[in-house]
Amino acid sequence: MQYFERTTKSVRHRLLFLFAGCTLLLGFIYWRTSLNVNSSFAAELAQIPVFLSPVIIAGMGLTGIIYAGGIDLSISSMIVVAGTVFGILFDHGAPPWVCFLGCYVTAVGLSTCNGLLVRMLGISPIIITLAGLQFYRGVALILADTLMPNFGGGLSIQKAAYQAPAKEHAAEILAVVVVAALAWEAYGKTFRGFLALGCSPQACRIAGLDPGRIRLTSYFVGGLFLGVAAVLFVTNVQVIEPARMATGFELGVIGAVVLGGTNIFGGEGTMLGTVLGALFLYLIGQAMLYAGVSEYWRTAIAGGVIVAVIGFDCAIHRRQKLLDELR
Amino acid sequence: MPAPLLQLDGLAKSFGGVQALKPLSLELAAGSILGLVGENGAGKSTLIKLLSGLHQPDSGDILFAGQRVAFSSPRAALDAGIATIHQELEYAGRLTVAENLLLGESWPRTFFGGVHWGRLHENAQRRLSEFGIDLPTHAPVDQLTAAEKQEVSIAGALARDARLLILDEPTASLSAPEVRRLFGHLARLRERGVAVIYVSHRLDEIFEITDRIAVLRDGSLVSTHKTANVSAGQLVHDMVGRPLDQVYPRTRSGELGEVILKLSSMSRAGMFRDISFEVRAGEIVGLGGLVGAGRSELARAIYGLYPVDTGTMLLRGKPWRPRGADAALQNGLIYIPEERKRQGLVLDHSLGETLSVGFGDTASRFGLVNRRREREAVSGALQKYDIRATGPAQAVGTLSGGNQQKALLARWLERDPKMIILDEPTRGVDVGAKAEIHAHIDQLAGMGKAVLFISSDLPELLGMSNRVLVMNRGAIDAELCGDEMTEHNVILAASGLSQAGSPDTDR
Repeated sequence: MQYFERTTKSVRHRLLFLFAGCTLLLGFIYWRTSLNVNSSFAAELAQIPVFLSPVIIAGMGLTGIIYAGGIDLSISSMIVVAGTVFGILFDHGAPPWVCFLGCYVTAVGLSTCNGLLVRMLGISPIIITLAGLQFYRGVALILADTLMPNFGGGLSIQKAAYQAPAKEHAAEILAVVVVAALAWEAYGKTFRGFLALGCSPQACRIAGLDPGRIRLTSYFVGGLFLGVAAVLFVTNVQVIEPARMATGFELGVIGAVVLGGTNIFGGEGTMLGTVLGALFLYLIGQAMLYAGVSEYWRTAIAGGVIVAVIGFDCAIHRRQKLLDELR
Repeated sequence: MPAPLLQLDGLAKSFGGVQALKPLSLELAAGSILGLVGENGAGKSTLIKLLSGLHQPDSGDILFAGQRVAFSSPRAALDAGIATIHQELEYAGRLTVAENLLLGESWPRTFFGGVHWGRLHENAQRRLSEFGIDLPTHAPVDQLTAAEKQEVSIAGALARDARLLILDEPTASLSAPEVRRLFGHLARLRERGVAVIYVSHRLDEIFEITDRIAVLRDGSLVSTHKTANVSAGQLVHDMVGRPLDQVYPRTRSGELGEVILKLSSMSRAGMFRDISFEVRAGEIVGLGGLVGAGRSELARAIYGLYPVDTGTMLLRGKPWRPRGADAALQNGLIYIPEERKRQGLVLDHSLGETLSVGFGDTASRFGLVNRRREREAVSGALQKYDIRATGPAQAVGTLSGGNQQKALLARWLERDPKMIILDEPTRGVDVGAKAEIHAHIDQLAGMGKAVLFISSDLPELLGMSNRVLVMNRGAIDAELCGDEMTEHNVILAASGLSQAGSPDTDR
């Protein structure tokens, strides 16, 4: 209960809303699948971890970064570099576990590198990582081009052993990571430090903490999550194409984080919210699919949902915020 | 007598050629409370900033606990044992009281490596009760009242073994019972041997809690007194201390016209209460009081930027229920805000653009601006209000403070308003420009406009106004006219020590 007691009312309301929303959408999908002999609810459920685990796990890492007052826009490109490293190792005949490890370590390293750049250059995280979004994709292409002799824009991976994480174990990995992360958030000091930094760097400084160091830690911890997301992402795609892979992935992740009640300017949020936010966005898409909404509309509506939920939420809590400001 | 805990020896500081603090020497013993008083700009905040490590002195020494110290940062001062509680508190609002208190320390762990929340809250509770503070440690700090947040800050500072606590206007946002509670804490600290520097404009509080009082004026230490041996009158005399050598313009006839603005029992929770007064055509009514007494809030409520809970207003005899700036302008009421850089002017805009915001619509038709007419109006205004600039194209931000203020005035005066509210119009303006602004205000009244004049500059307030209302903690504490209009009386009323009757009996 500690976990919920210390959150604010608006965050709790958002969690409740998302939980209710996800339940309703699941109910709707169950009803639709039961009408149609060609579809099964169980198969639909089994599909969720495969598609959604990279978003959820990367999202949880990004949640810590954002509520420490930072942001990372370059996550998709970092995944591409990690995926390219995975492909290069595969191309050189490395065993599966080496490929997975290489992929993981690359993602952790790049995220930490973002943190270091933010700390040392003192430039706003949004600018550093916006540049990283371009830069890392370029790095991936250069790596692929120089280290893979037969690279022709894409590398096909068709061996089951190399695809096991996403194709066979996505649900288990997702469950373990989510449970571990929520426990860490609830019982660790790390994330409370991130939150404190997002609230007031000055207060941290007065308390004797080093804000720059906390920020760097938030990028490192975010990297630990991003690495898992990267492994799950690249072992799900059939072909690794550095130029096109994961385009726009970061927007889905940021959408999930923000929908989950994390303040984009830091200082407020929960990882549970991000999990529910990602699930909600995914289920909305699936529900529209079953309702027969055309693809074009689905894309537009998915964006509209984020604005609608947050706009509605702000309208409800605006009065309170105004009062807080005047006090 | 033991050696003093804090000893200042010839401490001085200047900013850009202005001597903010002239060489100053002062001693403070452990277990005593020193009150620091002085008018705005007397050098109190500079002194605090030097002691708390925000600024470094140009010359002079700080001896703390017998050792010469130099603070390169607020952190260094804190480590040495000097904690400062600023008016603006710093805290991580979403974190709980316990987490904020123990933020910089290692937290108790359970067998499994997680934070032992139970023990953490016990530790925090113990620390709070050690200083006699009772707060829910589970509550996020955001949800506490201003007084409770301050208590968290104080407990946090003391937990780091602070031996000198500096409080800067600590009661500015506290209610009366909360002030009592704070004083209880301070009395306990005194017994524990902690020294306190208490900075406040509120002389009643200074008299109650301090052992000694130091008076600053124009950057130098004028006097120090034992609190028991000094009267309020003496203190105010030391604070004011300057001869009234400045002459204020009085070209207006002094004849008052009809009542332009009449307020009856206006209240707004947390800002001002039971405000009643009237302003007549041709009259300048001064509104004095401390910063935070509710003067600007009242002005904005009249203008329609804040809604009013109870009470009524009459503007030129008609009920006035403001709905924002547009309605106010149309009814001949203008308000020139306090912080002109933030609220009044777009600094990058040219002078011409700035002025034409005010009367541009008189030069436009169907949403299209008649450029020629606008140019004429602008250059006319430049001459009429004697705004010194290279021309209409000069960016407002590059004008001097006085000319900025004149531009702001000119912008609205072309509309021929009936009632003008000026909020600290001369703050940060040099002497020459000040005199010009004074002359303009006097002319406005002479033209039959009603003026409500808010100022913290006492000579100016008294010199310009027909009568002066003094606000204290949201209410009008005194109405001074004629011989009662002295700096002495204004300071007494503003700091809650008014001997004069309530404003109702004056009327």
